Amino acid sequence: MSSSTSHNRRNVLKAGLGGIAAEWLLQRDLLAQSPLAAKPPHFAPKAKRVIFLFMVGAPSSIDMFDPKPALAKYAGQKLPASFGKVISQFTGGDTGLLPSPWTYKQYGQSGIPVSGLSPHVAQCVDDICFVRSFYTESVVHAPAMYQVHSGRVLTGYPSMGAWVTYGLGSPADNLPAYVVMPQPEGTPEGGTPCWSSGFLPAVYQGTLLRSGPSPILHLKPPAGVTPERQQDTLDLIQQMNRMDSRPGDSEHAARIASYELAFKMQTAAPEAVDLNKETEATKALYGLDDKKTYDFGSRLLLARRLIERGTRFVQIYSGGGPVSIQWDAHKDLVANHEKMAGMTDKPIAGLLKDLKARGLLDETLVIWGSEFGRLPMSEGGNGRDHNPHGFTMWFAGGGVKGGRIVGETDEFGLNGIGQRYHMRDFHATILHLMGLDQHKLYYLHNGRNEKLTDFGGTVIDKVFI
Amino acid sequence: MRNLVSILLCAALLANAAPIDPREEAFIGARRSYWAFQKVARPPLPSATANPIDAFILAGLKARNLTPSPEAEKRTLIRRATFDLTGLPPTQAEVDAFLNDTRPNAYEQLIDRLIASPAYGERWALKWLDVVRYADTNGYELDAERPQAWRYRDYVIDSFNTNKPYDRFLMEQIAGDELYPGQDKALIATGFLRAGPRHVVGGNLDEEVNRQEVLLEMTLGVSNTFLGLTVGCARCHNHKFDPITQADHYRIQAIMAATDLKEIDLPALGAKAQYEAAKKAHEARLKPIQDEITAIEKPIREQLREAKKAMLSQAHLAALDIPKEKRTEEQETLFKEASKQIGVSWDEVVNAIPAEPKARRAALRARMHAINLDEPEPPPAAFAVANMDQAPQTHILKLGEPKHKLSPVEPAFLSVLGAIEAPKGPGGRRAAFAKWLADPQHPLTARVMANRVWQFRMGTGIVPTPNDFGQLGGRPSNRPLLDWLAAEFVSSGWNVKHLDKLIVTSATYRQSAAIDPAKAAIDADNKLYWRMNQRRLEGEALRDNILLASGKLNSKQFGPPIKTPIEQEIYDIIFTEAEPDNLWPLPKDRSEIYRKSIYLLNKRTVRLPLLTNFDQPDAISSCPVRAVSTHALQALSLLNSDFLHEQSQALAARVSAACPADADCQTRAAYSITLQRPPRPEEQQLARQFLTQKRMPLEDFCKALLNRHEFVYIP
Repeated sequence: MSSSTSHNRRNVLKAGLGGIAAEWLLQRDLLAQSPLAAKPPHFAPKAKRVIFLFMVGAPSSIDMFDPKPALAKYAGQKLPASFGKVISQFTGGDTGLLPSPWTYKQYGQSGIPVSGLSPHVAQCVDDICFVRSFYTESVVHAPAMYQVHSGRVLTGYPSMGAWVTYGLGSPADNLPAYVVMPQPEGTPEGGTPCWSSGFLPAVYQGTLLRSGPSPILHLKPPAGVTPERQQDTLDLIQQMNRMDSRPGDSEHAARIASYELAFKMQTAAPEAVDLNKETEATKALYGLDDKKTYDFGSRLLLARRLIERGTRFVQIYSGGGPVSIQWDAHKDLVANHEKMAGMTDKPIAGLLKDLKARGLLDETLVIWGSEFGRLPMSEGGNGRDHNPHGFTMWFAGGGVKGGRIVGETDEFGLNGIGQRYHMRDFHATILHLMGLDQHKLYYLHNGRNEKLTDFGGTVIDKVFI
Repeated sequence: MRNLVSILLCAALLANAAPIDPREEAFIGARRSYWAFQKVARPPLPSATANPIDAFILAGLKARNLTPSPEAEKRTLIRRATFDLTGLPPTQAEVDAFLNDTRPNAYEQLIDRLIASPAYGERWALKWLDVVRYADTNGYELDAERPQAWRYRDYVIDSFNTNKPYDRFLMEQIAGDELYPGQDKALIATGFLRAGPRHVVGGNLDEEVNRQEVLLEMTLGVSNTFLGLTVGCARCHNHKFDPITQADHYRIQAIMAATDLKEIDLPALGAKAQYEAAKKAHEARLKPIQDEITAIEKPIREQLREAKKAMLSQAHLAALDIPKEKRTEEQETLFKEASKQIGVSWDEVVNAIPAEPKARRAALRARMHAINLDEPEPPPAAFAVANMDQAPQTHILKLGEPKHKLSPVEPAFLSVLGAIEAPKGPGGRRAAFAKWLADPQHPLTARVMANRVWQFRMGTGIVPTPNDFGQLGGRPSNRPLLDWLAAEFVSSGWNVKHLDKLIVTSATYRQSAAIDPAKAAIDADNKLYWRMNQRRLEGEALRDNILLASGKLNSKQFGPPIKTPIEQEIYDIIFTEAEPDNLWPLPKDRSEIYRKSIYLLNKRTVRLPLLTNFDQPDAISSCPVRAVSTHALQALSLLNSDFLHEQSQALAARVSAACPADADCQTRAAYSITLQRPPRPEEQQLARQFLTQKRMPLEDFCKALLNRHEFVYIP
């Protein structure tokens, strides 16, 4: 409701009713606003929206962004005994060290090293801050995915996107605030809890979006129902619902508003996902001219179109479904990572360049990450098992200082050393960039003020100061 | 003298009480006097009213200068009570009969009929299963089905229908195996202890961590459901707000420490041998099809394997040919690596099969899936628990970490309520706990359930947080009423139907739900119940109501959970690394897909959009009160989903069968079916515009009615 209509309503009400009762009705009017209406942050934000690129199955940090020459030097040898027993999912860490099959080169003014797996992202290193010393608690995909998405290895907790939309609402009233785009071949192993609203109201859960004429579930009228018919039916519903509405009933008012919104969404969403509106040059930038990169590139281009139109949080998965379409390189690391990086590298660089060219990167936080990394030792001779002890995720845009490396792993890339960062630090940093104080963003659930970071994380200020 | 008596009384009640650790006592201290830990004393009635509830409500209203709202009209009353007690609206005939029933006890007669309906237990089960976070699957990534779990759901429905005393209901769920050995229903009841999610996955998982997750879920289950306290918050440290020590948390875990999860055969319900024979016959039907599929796949798999072999290093290749007993340690490693490297996954095989055999294979798999619809039901078993032979020692865990054990603790109950100890052996711990909870003197058990019944019928609890009677929960808006209800509940023999009837026959319940701004200005949230709360139907009840209107509802009761059609988008989010066909087989008998929502498969990670959009909880943590959110996706599913489209068409067919051509007649019929009333003149006019002037299809008119506030809300 705009302030002028609210003002008029105030006068009308004051004329007709007692002061307190009128104030009460006005309060109810405010409550009738969409729960997704934009809300002010706790302090001035650096980032206004997030695009979270999630690599399902865990890419190998040491083969992409964290070079370990020692692996070549000690190839095939076992890790020194001083490292102790290494915990992973399938192996015991007692196999020989596997050198990276890729060579690294330095890029940009910052000279940050990137392996041959990411020649395109390598061109953007001056806009990227790599944090190399993240660690997480589980060696198993799904619990680790729950932790990076929602702060706990358990299910039932709201995902990051749900917390952010709960805290900030969304400037777009005709598009979903929190959008999720999985790999078309299948869902990530963690499944729906990765974008669930947990104990927050369902309105904050991620909305699945796909390209095509009906991007959102139930967006399009059923076959045979013309837009005119749909419009007439909707008019009838709204007329009847206005008859049913009682004064002061915020729920009825909200319900009427939700039908208006649904109608607006029916027009806005297909327009938002219509990639034909983009130039050939833009499409090529995201790799839409190549079969290999077409799918992931399309989803990234969709992400840009959505955040341009006000969507707050976009979560995109590379990988899902059959093991062969995940980054889970237990065997044949080379073939697996060449394939997965081949599908994603160019589109990711395209997204960063495009956002920058349009002046959107400053306020759009792009995050690249996964549930964990991979071990320096071999599994099955040519693969790697899971490594939750030290792995890389990176940030770009949204106030992030590019051309930086924060944190480090040991000479083999097994453990984070020095300042290590937990998933709660990852979350605290993202909330901070969004202008949200991790301790003020809470929800009372079963007797406890629950927060994304639980007992609290450390904001990694080296990322943005 | 009075002091002495109360000390003696206390001493008698705490006969089994262990001395409390002085540090814990210091932590509890004065907080022992918190209201919820005081025994219930039946308060005197503030005034003489036909229904005692109204006396307490009137006293509360009077204190704030409020008066109750007038009684709702009769049509509203019968719709409200029928929705509340059965989950469905009345028929037009039932409404008419009630409107014409001028006997003074007409309403009471109506309530008696509704409470005796078999749908009463189904309605209660929806509520109870939210609280115990029941689902038909494990949750987490694999989210496998629990084939026998539904017997607990049926047990709950049956218990409410037969009006099982609540103390017995409680004792069966916590310790049915110990207290009522040999009774199938009591065994099935212990499915309560396993109702929560459970992480079942392969790989190097730590058994101790897994077990701790199981014990934690059980502890959360009993404390949220029956104690109404957040004992879970004391897992890592003493409770921040309530006098629950960390040791108390682990004492309650110790109650369950010897409890094993177990499927227990129920031979009384069916013959195992018969099942074995049926299963053999079923497998024999599948065999020839499976052989044909293998014949298509095998050569391709071999080719792929050979191709991968050609890529192996010489050393790896050589290791493959060395027999196991002759391999050196190094060769053994090479052998394992080589075997892994030449492994072929299902999708590699399928992608490599040429078009013709690929199509043949798909048809064969479809035939196989069709035959699998006839797979014999497994022999009946209880999804239950059993005691171990020895009870493992329970320790306090530092920050809840199973690897950081602190002092040992023995099974016992809450220190603040007297720290009574349970047996130390593996047996009888849960029985002692259940009896302690079911003691008529227990300050929480009756209050917590009385508050749930009230919240269920009135929309809000007297204590607004039904799972949390502690400091962070809400204070009772009318403590004398809560205590009176709790006392009445116990003295009636823990009679849920008695409490239900008292509430829904009260003048408080029968008030109009209309909002009076002057009163709302004093008590906006209606904490004092100056009007009835209007409540939106739960997603499940909304679906059932739509099916009732379309004439499709299948009211069959009980049995294994049903899969109802899902959208392709939802099918696609079912996680599997295997071939994603047949992940959601629909029942052979298609009338089953229209069963009531309580019988639909509740899969933790795959929610039905219509239900989840209308705030169906996720069955991962206990849900004492459902959220009511309002958003555009609800409108989209009620406008555009195939389900709504089909039901609108079915409703239109029903309507035009009654009135083939006359739009006015159709309008009356559609109103009667959906809202159980005739249209008002302005509504008749609106319908005429839509159907006659605009010539819009009847199904669209029907769809609009199904979207209407009046259809979606309990009045």
